[in-house]
Amino acid sequence: MGRRTVTRAEAEDFLYREALLLDEWRLDEWLTLFEEGGRMEVTTTDWNGWDSSSAGAFMCDDYGLLKARVKRLKSRKAHAENPHSRTHRMISNVIILEQGDETAWVAANFIIHRYRDNQEFTYVGRYEHVLLVDDEGLRFRLRRSIPTMETMAPGARLSFIL
Amino acid sequence: MTQLTHTDPGGTPNRSLVHEDWDALTFKVHRSAYRSPAVFQKEMSRIWGHTWLYLGHETEIPNPGDFKSRTLGGRPLIFCRDSSGKVQVFFNACTHRGTILCRHSEGNTKFFQCFYHAWAFSNSGELAALPGDEAYADVPGFKERHRLRSVPRVDSHEGFVFISFDPRVPDLLTHLGEAAHYMSLTAKIGPQGMQTVPGVQLYSVKGNWKLAVENAMDGYHFAPTHNTFVGYLRETGFAVTDDDQYAYDLGDGHGLLILTGHNGRIGMVWEPRFGEAEKERTAAKRQEMEERLGKELATEVADASRILFVFPNLLLFDLEALTIRQIEPVEAGRTDVRAWQFVETGEPDEVRALRIKTMVSFVGPGGLATPDDIEAYEAVQRGIEATAGSADPAYDWSDMSRGMANEKQGNQGRSIDEGAMRSFWRQWSRRVEGAPALDTALDTALDTAPGA
Ligand code: FES
Ligand SMILES: [Fe+2]
Repeated sequence: MGRRTVTRAEAEDFLYREALLLDEWRLDEWLTLFEEGGRMEVTTTDWNGWDSSSAGAFMCDDYGLLKARVKRLKSRKAHAENPHSRTHRMISNVIILEQGDETAWVAANFIIHRYRDNQEFTYVGRYEHVLLVDDEGLRFRLRRSIPTMETMAPGARLSFIL
Repeated sequence: MTQLTHTDPGGTPNRSLVHEDWDALTFKVHRSAYRSPAVFQKEMSRIWGHTWLYLGHETEIPNPGDFKSRTLGGRPLIFCRDSSGKVQVFFNACTHRGTILCRHSEGNTKFFQCFYHAWAFSNSGELAALPGDEAYADVPGFKERHRLRSVPRVDSHEGFVFISFDPRVPDLLTHLGEAAHYMSLTAKIGPQGMQTVPGVQLYSVKGNWKLAVENAMDGYHFAPTHNTFVGYLRETGFAVTDDDQYAYDLGDGHGLLILTGHNGRIGMVWEPRFGEAEKERTAAKRQEMEERLGKELATEVADASRILFVFPNLLLFDLEALTIRQIEPVEAGRTDVRAWQFVETGEPDEVRALRIKTMVSFVGPGGLATPDDIEAYEAVQRGIEATAGSADPAYDWSDMSRGMANEKQGNQGRSIDEGAMRSFWRQWSRRVEGAPALDTALDTALDTAPGA
């Protein structure tokens, strides 16, 4: 595999494409952005840097749960997302924080507007992902969303992928 | 009880919004109970002003000086452990001119200092210092009169701290009644005790608080609402059953579902998604529990899952793993929710990780199940607008009569019936619609609050 340098442009392309897949609810394609065994976390709003295995979280999916989540969200019986929310993601402030032999640690800011039932919800936060870097491109080893809000606003549940 | 004629209960405060008829076997709740700001105001006064409320768990503030600031019944409070180790609960308002004294959500301190004029209070409430005190007559007396205000009653059971804004409520254990026993069962799971961990789920739903209570006491919704979650469990090798699951009225509005075979229980009832290592540990832990508690008690603690509702604001989920959920009504159509993971103290890291992963995958606004519950409360809150003031007043009632025939025959109510909801609503009606036995200045203040 060997070490290669990830540019900010490459990380941006990856994150923008992910946002597109999520906004279009192309969840099977989205799942392929994870390496086998990849994980996803959404921290609580009181998060203080602690490890997800020792503290509560909003989401803490291993690969099995991630697959189950995608399957659920594709079902008409995922009532919270039937009909699907409309989401509109803006990603910016992309930074390669650190790069190792196999992985890159990438941070970005996000604003996600979600619309459903004639209501609007705004989710603001930061991503801190660990991406596997290989010749094929980038994939999530750990996809982590860190909400900036102090609490989830009324109606602002996390029934979709943050 | 005979059927009364209700034309417009929402508009006529003397008529009950809860309608029970054991001849016709009907139980109905008028939908204004979820919509009306006037009803909400009455609840805040008659319930929140006069009963024990769950505030938090002692393990949230383990060390002297630890504090959390938290709003309960709309009142900002400081929940702290003073330097001597005693749990204190203060109104979070400076005694000088009312400024929020502590503006941090958590921390550790010996003194709470108001930024406005720099009065400083010790963590046991004494007014320790005020700048320029020579301008006050009788400084010691003045300081004593301006101690930090404590809530009138604070008490705890198994580490669960409750408060009351009314000093005349009965003892906490009297209030908890049979619910105390079930809290004790949960407290016995861990050989070194149980504790909360950081990572608190703070969220808010656009639904009346009573919808959140009903939902938790409602086994009927589980299969249809959580279809995708049940499907996920099936794929992991576990078949959920609704058989052998019962609802209990614990009196005074407290309710309990006991669910056998509904799900595994980490460390107590194994299921395939917990993994092979956990299978062995479960057998060993059961051994430990039997030695520590005796076989009978160990069985009661371990075998069945429980969802306990302690009237009016605590839900204790003792399922695959454990969650403490606190309900804070904000307005008729909005409820803030706070949820803590509740874990065994000193358990191995991998068990802690499994516990959190498993519980978070089910409950909370990002789980595979709770979002559908939230969808339910919110869809009810939107739906009940449809029949408000409708031409046929009979349309504006919700039905909760499921299982009444069975109950009338004297059988234990099933979790998939609506008996636990009925006991909640009976208590609600006694508190909100009954004679206000404990009327105080507080009620007058709440009832006449501007903008209420
Ligand atoms: S209001 Fe707090 S010191 Fe004046
Ligand atoms: Fe549910």
